[in-house]
Amino acid sequence: MTATTALLLTIIVPLFSGLFMFLFPQSLRRVKEGLFILSGLAGLYLAILLFKQDLLFSLPWISPGIELSFRLYNFSAFMILATAFLGFLIAAYSVIFMQGKKFSAQFYGYFLLCLAFSNGVFLANNLLLLLFFWEGLLLLIFGMISVGNPDAFKTATKAFIIVGVTDLCFMLGIALTAYLSKTMLISAINLPLNSPLVNLTFILLMIGAISKGGAMPFHSWIPDAAVDAPLPFMSLVPAALEKLLGIYFLTRLVLDLFQLTEHSGLSTLLMVIGAITIILAVMMALVQKDYKRLLSYHAISQVGYMILGIGTALPIGIVGGIFHMINNALYKSGLFLTAGSVEKQAGTTNLEKLGGLGRKMPVTFGCFLITAVAISGVWPFNGFFSKELVYDAAIERGWIFYIAAVLGSFFTAASFLKLGHAAFLGKSNAANDKTREAHPMMLVPMVVIAIVCVIFGVFNQIPLNYLIQPVLGVKSAGHNFSGFPANMTLVVITFVVLGLALVNHILGAKAKGSGLHALDHIRYAPGLAKIYDLAEKRFFDPYNWGLGLVNIISRISFGIDRGINWLSDGLTVRLAYGLSSGIRSMHNGNYSVYLAWSLAGMLVIFGFLVIF
Amino acid sequence: MYALLVLVPFLSSFMLNLPFRKLNKRLSFGVGAALFLLQMAVVIIPGLGLDKINPAVLANILNFDLGVDALSRVMLFCIGLVALVTLCANSLFLKDSDDKFNFINMLLIAVAGMNGIVLAKDIFSLYVFLEITAVVSFILIAFNREELGLEGAFKYILLSSIATVLMIAGIALFFLASASTNFAAIHSALLAQDKSLLINLAMALFLSALFIKAGLMPFHGWVPDAYTAAPAAASVFLAGIITKTAGIYVLIRILVSITGFSLTIKSVLLFIGAFSAIIGALAALTQSDFKRMLSYSSISQMGYIILGVGSGTVLGLAGAALHIFNHAIFKSLLFVNSAAVEKALGSRDINKMGGLGSRMPITSLTSVLGSLSCAGIPPLAGFWSKLIIIIALWSAGYQIYAVIAILGSILTLAYFLCLQRSVFFGKLNAEFKNIKEAGFSLVFPALLLAVIIVGVGIFLPLALDRFILSFNTILGG
Repeated sequence: MTATTALLLTIIVPLFSGLFMFLFPQSLRRVKEGLFILSGLAGLYLAILLFKQDLLFSLPWISPGIELSFRLYNFSAFMILATAFLGFLIAAYSVIFMQGKKFSAQFYGYFLLCLAFSNGVFLANNLLLLLFFWEGLLLLIFGMISVGNPDAFKTATKAFIIVGVTDLCFMLGIALTAYLSKTMLISAINLPLNSPLVNLTFILLMIGAISKGGAMPFHSWIPDAAVDAPLPFMSLVPAALEKLLGIYFLTRLVLDLFQLTEHSGLSTLLMVIGAITIILAVMMALVQKDYKRLLSYHAISQVGYMILGIGTALPIGIVGGIFHMINNALYKSGLFLTAGSVEKQAGTTNLEKLGGLGRKMPVTFGCFLITAVAISGVWPFNGFFSKELVYDAAIERGWIFYIAAVLGSFFTAASFLKLGHAAFLGKSNAANDKTREAHPMMLVPMVVIAIVCVIFGVFNQIPLNYLIQPVLGVKSAGHNFSGFPANMTLVVITFVVLGLALVNHILGAKAKGSGLHALDHIRYAPGLAKIYDLAEKRFFDPYNWGLGLVNIISRISFGIDRGINWLSDGLTVRLAYGLSSGIRSMHNGNYSVYLAWSLAGMLVIFGFLVIF
Repeated sequence: MYALLVLVPFLSSFMLNLPFRKLNKRLSFGVGAALFLLQMAVVIIPGLGLDKINPAVLANILNFDLGVDALSRVMLFCIGLVALVTLCANSLFLKDSDDKFNFINMLLIAVAGMNGIVLAKDIFSLYVFLEITAVVSFILIAFNREELGLEGAFKYILLSSIATVLMIAGIALFFLASASTNFAAIHSALLAQDKSLLINLAMALFLSALFIKAGLMPFHGWVPDAYTAAPAAASVFLAGIITKTAGIYVLIRILVSITGFSLTIKSVLLFIGAFSAIIGALAALTQSDFKRMLSYSSISQMGYIILGVGSGTVLGLAGAALHIFNHAIFKSLLFVNSAAVEKALGSRDINKMGGLGSRMPITSLTSVLGSLSCAGIPPLAGFWSKLIIIIALWSAGYQIYAVIAILGSILTLAYFLCLQRSVFFGKLNAEFKNIKEAGFSLVFPALLLAVIIVGVGIFLPLALDRFILSFNTILGG
């Protein structure tokens, strides 16, 4: 197999096996499951085959200058490998998890198409092609959410509208980019941010990218989807693929498509978005009482670190952002998978009803522990190293960003302490006495992910030196980001903050008598309580505001429409009928009247002719 | 050869009344149909000798001054066509063979009269032919010898006789001014002298007389009663061609050949045209009698034609002539449809009808085509003539009148949609469950006319240049 064939197959294989799922009847369920896993495996094989290759594939397409162009280089190869790796593991997990679910084959279809389109985004070297794959993902997200529980359709619509609106910005940005750079070839674009139009283009594309990543204020569908969508979707898309896609493209924006400089306004804008996302989302995560909902807020919060890191436009920040992206994809997928096995085995993810699962599901608990400490940023797990890189970059741009990031870390640790305590420790709930460990095929993916989390932490030079640093090319020449963090002050502060989180949890749990309520002193803190109340009523959901605005606009439009309708269907018709019956009553059949009209007419004409 | 167009129908009518009445009765339909077809053929096919000079013998016997131009050709064709359709429609309605025979005789005389109007180049001959046609019209309206018909005919006679008086007075004044009745002579005499009070009076008399004949508002009092009261076939003939020939054609002829288009006359025409178009359409909107609605619609459409004439340009005249042709076709069609409905239901009250489309599919379909053509919906024939009229108005600088014409079109569509909805669509009245499609003699002319509407509509763009170019010679010629 030549490398070019392998390149095309990374898109073609999942595309066609995905279509197979839709085209063939449900009776082929076993065949479909087999094909599903095989396609995942084939994707992984192809990704390994293509790794570390440089390829440019081009075919004549719409017109000269708009070629069907794919480009494989170190960054896209890395992304494809990550997608294939997680895709394969989650696929294997899904086959067990989706057993007996009504729309399982449909879900597999969307899943595979999603892999195909993601690979398309990573490989596309033409703006149009990129747009095609990017917008295609929107439909697939809609499809995957909608096959969840009965309420899922509403959530799917919400996701569709939010992502659709930002995709529209993205589309506009693509058009402007093509206009400004006078080429469709992505590898040939490198625009200096020197005019308002270029800045606008950057912002439009950035909106598309961070919305795909799930950053605020485009996040509000994710917690809803966490409850409504099938769980493997959460593990695949919001946890992994969305980060990979959004942050991949954001990195391309910052590094290749535009010349973003440090200390520029756009760079600060990105950092502000990142910092706000970290804090607000993690604050919401603190008070969640549902396993999956809590994780989903972390999925939002973590993307803040990536945006903050990349937004610094410093090599260390970008490296940190990308490293955090791959780390987050790993441990967040892992965490969602643990949520899935809890859901599958205990029948619920409501933390009020869970407890003491640690002894009954030891492997799941072990995987949860590793991934949870990784996301909290505990040495020597991968999250620690990527966060330290981001801190380093953040403090260089301003202490306020650093404070936000460290505070986010504190709350992250606190909420995972609460989650672990409430779900796996404490008193066992009578309802789930019979809960057993999950199916081995569901455990293996979790374990593999947990192991990779450890490897990426302990041997962090592997991802940093082989996967990430090449992405920056000459920009990072001479730097070394691997090994133990250089800035010891920051490391000490991190340890102190994590310690504080632990103390906070122990004291809180003791005061309230349960792990679930360990953070209630924050939830009901004076000043915060009101804000939390409003947030739980979804007062801060930009989607609801948007819907309200749309509602107002549609009411106004309806009023205008009624007005026009009254003019055309009411007033005009009444006028015409009034005139008509008036005229009719004048025609009374009286000959002398008709004669009088004629003579009057004649006199008027005569007068007119004489006078003029 | 023009004289033959007048003489042959006349003589045929005369011959049919010679002995062998029984044979003649049987022949009469064939004779009529053949003559009308021949008349249409003579117009369309150039080789048949319409333009050949009268043989010397004929010229000596009949010293008429006749001539033909683009407008007369259109009129001759319409006369032949509508007469043919009337002939068909009539054969169903009149049971009595004597009545049938008499009707055909009347038809022949009317056609002779109208051909005379169209061909005359002398104002007095024109008057004589006009009177022949008018007398035949009275008889046709009152043909059934019923009260309503007699009343309608009487109204027509009275208003028409006033028109006659006005016209003969006008002719006298023209004669006074020019010592001639020939168009060309009067024209040059009028050019020679300034516009005196006398000429203005003559013009006012003439215009009023012709407005009465054409049934334009506010001179239209006789139209709804006469059209409604006349027998079905007679209203086809009356609305389809007689008012157009006696009113509109003569008006155009006088304007083109004698007076020319002065600014004041154009203003009068435009005003009367717009007034008729809008008020006629408004009046049609709430009528409940099928034929009465059609007669107000006729008034409104006459208004359109006069708007086209009033623009005073070649394009406007061409549009007017085309609309005369189109109106002859779609209004005949609609009156044929109304005859079919009346025949089937024995009533003309549209409020009592409904859902007839399922029982009378051909009548329904053709009436939709006729209505849409009348409302000026592309690609039907009526669209093009209205379009040309509107373009002519706009390019002549009468933008306001162009807008009024468009508004009138909307009203036209409105009342025809009302008509269609209450007659052919909706639920079928249980009372009319057993009705059937009208007989062949009504279905055939309806189909023929519908085909012409669609055909002319689709192929008009091909013939447009030739058609309008042939009008180029009318003005200043």
